[in-house]
Amino acid sequence: MNGLIKYFTNIFVAIKNLLKGMGVTWRQFWAKKVTMQYPENRDTLVISDRWRSELTMPHDENNEHACTACGICMMNCPNGTITVTSSTVETEEGKKKRILDAYTWNQGSCTFCNLCVLTCPSKAIAFTNDFEGAVFNKKKLTYRLNQPGSKLREKKKTR
Amino acid sequence: METIKKIIVQVASDAVIEEGQRLTVTVPPKQLHPLMKALHGKEQLPFDYLISLIGMDWGDKLGVIYLLSPSQDLTRELVVITTTEERENPLLYSVTDLYETAHLNEREVYAMFGIRFINNPDMRPFLLDDTWNGFPLRKDYNADPARNPVTVISSEVRDDVPRIMEDENGNLVESTTRVFEKDDYIINIGPQHPSTHGVMHFRTALNGELIKKIDVRSGYIHRGIEKLCENLTYPQILHLTDRLDYLSANINRHAVCMCVEKAADIEVPPRAQYIRTIMDELNRISSHLLAFASHCNDLGATTAFIYGMREREHVLDIFDKTCGGRLIVNQDVVGGVMFDIYPDFQKDVKAFIPYMRKRLKEYEVFFSKNPIALRRMVDVGYLRREDAITYGVTGPAGRGSGWSCDVRIHKPYALYDQVEFTEVIRTEGDSYARYLNRLDEIEQALQIIEQLIDNIPEGEIQGKVKPIIRIPEGRYFQSVETGKGEFTVFIESKGDKNPYRMKFRSPSMAAVSVMPLISEGEFLADFIGIGGSMDYVIPDIDR
Amino acid sequence: MNYKQPLELTGLIANLDAFFREHLSPFWASVVEGLLILLVIVALYAVLALILIYVERKITGFFQSRLGPNRVGKYGSIQSIADMIKILIKEIIHIKRADLFLYYVAPFFVIGSSLMAFGAIPFGKGLQAVDFKMGVLYLIAVSSIGVLGVLLAGWSSNNKYSMLGAMRSGAQTISYELSAAFSLMTVVVLAGTMQLSEIVEGQRYVWNIFNGHIPALIAFLIYLTSGHAETNRGPFDLPEAEGELTAGYHTEYSGIQFGFYYLAEYLNMFIVAAIATTVFLGGWMPIQVHGWDTFNQVMWYIPSYVWFFGKTALLIFLSLWVRWSFPRLRIDILLNLEWKVLLPINLFNIVMMVVIVLAGWTLTDLFPKLFGLA
Repeated sequence: MNGLIKYFTNIFVAIKNLLKGMGVTWRQFWAKKVTMQYPENRDTLVISDRWRSELTMPHDENNEHACTACGICMMNCPNGTITVTSSTVETEEGKKKRILDAYTWNQGSCTFCNLCVLTCPSKAIAFTNDFEGAVFNKKKLTYRLNQPGSKLREKKKTR
Repeated sequence: METIKKIIVQVASDAVIEEGQRLTVTVPPKQLHPLMKALHGKEQLPFDYLISLIGMDWGDKLGVIYLLSPSQDLTRELVVITTTEERENPLLYSVTDLYETAHLNEREVYAMFGIRFINNPDMRPFLLDDTWNGFPLRKDYNADPARNPVTVISSEVRDDVPRIMEDENGNLVESTTRVFEKDDYIINIGPQHPSTHGVMHFRTALNGELIKKIDVRSGYIHRGIEKLCENLTYPQILHLTDRLDYLSANINRHAVCMCVEKAADIEVPPRAQYIRTIMDELNRISSHLLAFASHCNDLGATTAFIYGMREREHVLDIFDKTCGGRLIVNQDVVGGVMFDIYPDFQKDVKAFIPYMRKRLKEYEVFFSKNPIALRRMVDVGYLRREDAITYGVTGPAGRGSGWSCDVRIHKPYALYDQVEFTEVIRTEGDSYARYLNRLDEIEQALQIIEQLIDNIPEGEIQGKVKPIIRIPEGRYFQSVETGKGEFTVFIESKGDKNPYRMKFRSPSMAAVSVMPLISEGEFLADFIGIGGSMDYVIPDIDR
Repeated sequence: MNYKQPLELTGLIANLDAFFREHLSPFWASVVEGLLILLVIVALYAVLALILIYVERKITGFFQSRLGPNRVGKYGSIQSIADMIKILIKEIIHIKRADLFLYYVAPFFVIGSSLMAFGAIPFGKGLQAVDFKMGVLYLIAVSSIGVLGVLLAGWSSNNKYSMLGAMRSGAQTISYELSAAFSLMTVVVLAGTMQLSEIVEGQRYVWNIFNGHIPALIAFLIYLTSGHAETNRGPFDLPEAEGELTAGYHTEYSGIQFGFYYLAEYLNMFIVAAIATTVFLGGWMPIQVHGWDTFNQVMWYIPSYVWFFGKTALLIFLSLWVRWSFPRLRIDILLNLEWKVLLPINLFNIVMMVVIVLAGWTLTDLFPKLFGLA
């Protein structure tokens, strides 16, 4: 007899707990959904400022940047995604000076570790949160960061 | 300490004892096994927990470093080293009869260094294919891709197991056995399978629906991170540690940072300590939530899976606002943290805590008490305490078997000695205990965060660090408690800016190595569920 | 009492029949009518499947705090049509080392069995293709053919996952058929007939589930559980068990062959709900109360097929709700549930029903005046 009572209690307890579980899904059925509708929500979408998607070299209105082509970022990059090519020119005062020719960054092998930005002595590069970087061809993932015709900002101006 | 020394001198007469950070014993290969046996069989506080087994190549010598500890007192660590000068056919003695966790670790050392272990019953290489040319972690390894071309032809998995055994007369006998019997019904769970949580490969012999035997294979995404580390500077290494156990990314990174900081004597400002601890606990919550979610999914409850992911999203949002990364958080750096907290950080975290508590209650009603879920978890995948220790299963799984192994309690780091929290221990040892442990640890993590969140002091977020970090010559260990268990970093430095050798103890590897034991005789369906309850992450194994 | 039934299709069908009989010989009239009915049923089958797939995905999404399909068409409404087109134009992968004949035949067993069951369901007043005298028995018999297709698929694919899935399915379906049949038989005892049209007619004023009160309610719950299990869905999806067996018995199928299984799975869910509606919930019969003529007339304005699909939809919703709330059972729990819980209760239940019917304790026996039987 005890066995029989236990048998039925088990069944009813099980059914009770199953129904409780169904209650959770029932409440969820009517609750607000968490899905975000991208790209419809593009206007309201907030991407955190610190989000790292694209390496950029900020240029000012005179098309000048702060990169001295020292190559520290290139050295610090664990994956070799950055290539800095530079040439040496002689200034009017007769001093030798290094000038940035091309700053290329390969997004395809970048792990966004932020070491390049952290170690840059002249704060010439920065990550932006523009996350829509999908392209159809792997080759397009290599970007040249310095704009054509740009040059190094004079130090006086930065101070 | 004195008793240990006495034992060492008694058993291994040629042992060289150094007293540094940790007691270090160097013994010739012949005396290794007797010494280990004596340490393992010690009456008081036996050294029954092999934390890490590290293969080494010092150029002139090959060898193995064992990091041992008593399971009852994790602070008394002991380092045992044995070496051989033979490079063509190096042979050392196995400790698999004392420590079960040595099985996979010795096989890994064989694959990476070519050291074979006498008396290990299974001497197939682990992580690498047996056709691999060369031993990658040796210093003279030729990494020319032409030597190991990428094959596109699928090859059969070899079933024969080579081994070297010592017979009674002390002669070495090489022989082969088979993994499976000829008539076994073998089914491949993985490497492409929805429930192996990655590219894990279990070759499973079935007896009807019951598991008869399991052969663990891994290495499908082995990236050679330990080898890569040898050519990177310490700040560069950090970005790789996020990619080991990606669910505990921040905690792994914390371990490497602490190891370097302790070695190079760098002070971490209190504000950074607070941020690190809070981020670690948030990371633990997200890791446990994913473990809960995927465990439910393994048991067929897709809805619970989505619920777990939904809550995890809140943690990831906080991460992404703090340090611009969701999964790969990239927050800790040597000497502090990379980013200060954002202005609304405290507000967001404080909003998350009650929300998470509410959801935990919901999980309890929805899944923890569901009769089907109970039948699928209670008394399934029973792991005894002794087995948890000898296999080195730590974390919520080890604590589910009644082993108090929380590194945060026993070897406190960061701010864990200043906060109050309880170690969640259950003695049932089944899937359900492991499952509940994780949910309870989420609650504990919330409590830790509550204690810290309002007290974050003002100040620097990074201490004074030289541009090029060099570590003085020596061996350094640092353990942390990740979402999966004890994660240990080992650095051997020669005083350079790169480590000479870096090794990560992966808690997932221990969890996987115990899978054949605890799922033997269980249903195939439960094998998947047990896997979910052990919560292993494959990139953590395939370093 | 004759009520106005403006939206019923009986008139249209009668007119069509008269038209054919007028212009063709009786034999050819039957042939044309038969073909027409076949066409309608197959079309309805496909359309229902598409609707069900959409509805399930949407409801699942809602249960899981998601939106479900929302890209193709407004609210994703033509998502399942897009899926259908995709599955139709997909390549059928031919596998070597399979038992090819059985491999190709297997999907037809599954879809054939569910089509045959589908054809015998009374969708509305006069909307029943065949009305067997042994209707209930026919449905039970026909729905068990499906498992053959699953077993054959698992065997012929020469894949271990498929094999395991098929074996599970075999054990599961055979066990749960027992319960399903017994619970239907309980109602047959109550209704006194196996003919579906008569069972519906008998529920004019009171549904069987109320008429037979306790035993009928138990039978209803058991039928829902075991019917659910028979369709290999919800917590009973062991033969597929995507977490364990990747896709179970249909792992090796692709393109339209997989589509057949997919279609049959959804339609089986509908058929189970439809049978439960017909047998327990009054089928297509509108809710009527004896003596309340105005009320009855209002109810009759809603056509019978709407009643039928409405009740069925409720049961389908229940099935989805259960499916997305529970984890999957294990094979031994599943068989325990059947042989140690459902079957004994069922056997006891059928005896109880016999007692109630014989002793005259059904609602119609107790209160004949309420139902216009006195």
